[in-house]
Amino acid sequence: MAEKQPPTIVEGATTGDVEDEVPVAKSAEDRKAAAALSSLDTPRDDEAAGGKDVDQEAVKKAMDRLAGTGTANGTSTKKEEENKPVKKVVKVDQADVALLIEELELSKIKATDLLKSHDGKVEEALRAYITPAA
Amino acid sequence: MPQVLSAKEQGLFRTVVRNYEDKQYKKGIKAADQILKKNPKHGDTLAMKALIMNSQGKTDEAFALAKVALQCDMKSHVCWHVYGLLYRAVKNFEEAIKAYKFALRLEPDSQQIQRDLALLQVQMRDYQGYLNSRRAMLTARPSARQSWTALAVAHHLNGNLSEAEGVLTSYEETLKNPPSKTDFENSEAVMYKNSLIAEQGDFQKALDHLESAGKHTLDRLAYYELRATYLTKLGRTEEATKAYRALIDRNSEYKMYYDGLIEAMGISEDKAAKKQLFDEYAEKYPRCDAARRLPLDFLEGDEFKEAADQYINRMLDKGVPSTFANLKHLYSSSFKKDTLPALVQQYIDSGKSEANDEPKRSGDTSKGASAAFYFLAQHYNYYRSRDLDKAMEFVEKAIELEPNSVDFHMTQARIWKHYGNSQKASEIMEKARTLDTRDRHINTKAAKYQLRDNEGDAALKTMGLFTRAETVGGPLADLHDMQCVWYLTEDGESYARQGKIGLALKRFTSIYNIFDVWQEDQFDFHSFSLRKGQIRAYIDMMRWEDQLREHTFYSRAALSAVDVYLKLHDKPLSNGTNGNSDANGDDAAERKKAAKKARKEAQKAEREAIAKKNEPNKATKEVEADPKKKDDDPDGAKLAATTEPMNDAMKFLTPLLQFSPKSIDVQTAGFEVYMRRKKYVLALKCLLAAAALDKEHSKVHQQIVRFKVAIDSEFESSESKISPKTKEVITSEFNLLPASTSLTKFNDDYLASHKDCARRTLSALSVRKLISPDAAPTCEKDVAAVLKLSAITVEEAQEALTLLRSWNSSEVDAFKSSAAQKWPKATIFE
Repeated sequence: MAEKQPPTIVEGATTGDVEDEVPVAKSAEDRKAAAALSSLDTPRDDEAAGGKDVDQEAVKKAMDRLAGTGTANGTSTKKEEENKPVKKVVKVDQADVALLIEELELSKIKATDLLKSHDGKVEEALRAYITPAA
Repeated sequence: MPQVLSAKEQGLFRTVVRNYEDKQYKKGIKAADQILKKNPKHGDTLAMKALIMNSQGKTDEAFALAKVALQCDMKSHVCWHVYGLLYRAVKNFEEAIKAYKFALRLEPDSQQIQRDLALLQVQMRDYQGYLNSRRAMLTARPSARQSWTALAVAHHLNGNLSEAEGVLTSYEETLKNPPSKTDFENSEAVMYKNSLIAEQGDFQKALDHLESAGKHTLDRLAYYELRATYLTKLGRTEEATKAYRALIDRNSEYKMYYDGLIEAMGISEDKAAKKQLFDEYAEKYPRCDAARRLPLDFLEGDEFKEAADQYINRMLDKGVPSTFANLKHLYSSSFKKDTLPALVQQYIDSGKSEANDEPKRSGDTSKGASAAFYFLAQHYNYYRSRDLDKAMEFVEKAIELEPNSVDFHMTQARIWKHYGNSQKASEIMEKARTLDTRDRHINTKAAKYQLRDNEGDAALKTMGLFTRAETVGGPLADLHDMQCVWYLTEDGESYARQGKIGLALKRFTSIYNIFDVWQEDQFDFHSFSLRKGQIRAYIDMMRWEDQLREHTFYSRAALSAVDVYLKLHDKPLSNGTNGNSDANGDDAAERKKAAKKARKEAQKAEREAIAKKNEPNKATKEVEADPKKKDDDPDGAKLAATTEPMNDAMKFLTPLLQFSPKSIDVQTAGFEVYMRRKKYVLALKCLLAAAALDKEHSKVHQQIVRFKVAIDSEFESSESKISPKTKEVITSEFNLLPASTSLTKFNDDYLASHKDCARRTLSALSVRKLISPDAAPTCEKDVAAVLKLSAITVEEAQEALTLLRSWNSSEVDAFKSSAAQKWPKATIFE
């Protein structure tokens, strides 16, 4: 135990504890008070975490990268989302949806999805739904 | 336009907020009112006041006030935030999320609102939303490790493992100095990352990471275990063997290590090698049980006999009471089932002479003899090898040797239970309890047996010996507080047996609510676990919570509740004129009593309230605590008064079907409910699922025929609302009946092929009565005749009796007397 305790450790509680209790309490603080309080918080955070262990430059770079992947990822998921509807441009008879809601007690969204995934054929949808999973 | 506060009032507003935080609600309200006197339409103050009122238990008023606050100041994020908090408090998380989102739109930089939103999103399993929130939170505070870890967790939960790993790596790269070795948070984060790598299936990378970054992790055991697992997966036999051997040296009783070692050595099929391995460890660790017990699982024939003999001698010499419990898993093999008692008998025979020869061991051997008798008593009480008279004989011998043994009396009580004599069983269990009044285990057993004998008051008294004395509301309240699920289940089932529907439903609903509480309990951990850095445990918890209602505690209580609701549907309480059932009469009286009691209590409460008003300074605390806790339906009268029992049953049934679809009891219960609700497609779904599990099951057989009969009449009926499409699907998917055979023939075939099984015979007979009502008298005679089947059990006879009763059969009395003759010790046929 010769090692020095990292600066983030506070006697009796982790910094996390301290940080956390403050926000819970200020749940409905008005804007100015909130700003004042959080400006009290932030410098200490940066000192604690950023002072020794964290390379601020590296953090910036990492954040940039993250933003990059984030958007890339965002678009890719968007693409997937776009793909799915493209595959499933299926005309759905509202009467069939109503039938599924009535018979299977599904929500409207789920019933529509089920119907779409069976090309709008209500019999197929019913059949698939009641077949026991292997 | 929102009103603007003066400087002085802004100070006051801050006081309000502080008072709320410090839970000084009265002061807070006072200060808020002071502001409102001058600025009656100040939205933020109104909102804060609403929040404080909610904490005082005035939920409805709080909601009303919060709405006023919003009308005064639509653009205030405080008002929206409070609105969200109120919804959160009443557990309407979806509305709360909407309110938070609106607040966040007005105040995009508020970390507090963002944080509250994120916690709700993960609680509601909106992983995509959670991911976005966490990303925003990281942008706001990129230097805190927590922010990064949280984002990784969000990716992980959202199913994107490599992204999660990448986030953690990004953070690691920002560190200038390596974290200290004693940094617990770092150590856990490293192990979390390791689990992410392994979960992606790249064991080489996981091993490399473990050996480099995880080398000095503080969780040493996890390091050793993971290393052994990875080495095995990678086929590095020699190192894996070594790793597992090291683990066994750490803990020689853990079966998983032996399994791992055997797998690593590649000797799963080689019995001789396995035996040798276990022998080696048995020798190395003379006190080790696992190395001696485990070989019995795979050994056969003489080898088994020899090993089992050694094992039994060793255990009985020490008088280990759990010897049978430890060995009964072997009883699925009939050879082992026959061998084990023979060995014990041998032990008894030889032990006696030994005791004479070597008086020095007399203490030990006497222990051995009683332990051996005890083993045999349990053996003959076990369902695979039941012979209750013999069991009783042996347990009496054991008790003779040790008259004060709690264990022996416990088994004796259990034998009485199997005789079908719950009264005697309860008596003996109570006797066992008095032998050691400070033992909680025997205390709960005694209470359970009292419940089985429908002695609810006595059971509660027994339990009361161990509950906290000062709990308001007595032992029952404490058992609820302590979430004592087994007691509530047994109590509910006991009430159900006695026909006290309301109380039974009350108990089952309590259990349902306890599971809700467990679901809500995770809320605190979304932030707590991150703060403490224990991510692996957190992920485990999330997975567990997702499957919470799989637990048998839930399915048992829920099935019982559904059963009660079915009975309620078939025989509504309000027209208790069904004649034959005395339970109904009881219940009516019970309900009258309950209503009277409730009236009295209400009057009493009123008087007390008046009394309290007269002394305003006294007991204000109690008043504040009370409104949240008060139960307005202590006897479940409201639950039993339901007009739509089938809809109420759905509350219990839906999670059952979702989480325990492989249980045949669940599927058959689902069928019953859906049939009564005329949801034929869903009933068919349950039926098909049940048939896929076991087509010959007695209930499934009955349900197949009943379904056929029901849909035939439904399809012919002119009032049928079933659409042609549905009709076609039902007809084509209902493939459980052979097309060419008639129902009668189908049923007769079933009966013929299961004529030795009482339960299936009963099922076929009730089907016969259904499809040809003319045959009723012969059916009743045939039901009575199941008593002559050699394999019939007490429980099956009881079912037969219930069936006869439900038919109002004239055979009931004759059946009862011949059953009582067949099982003279049973009380259930009296």
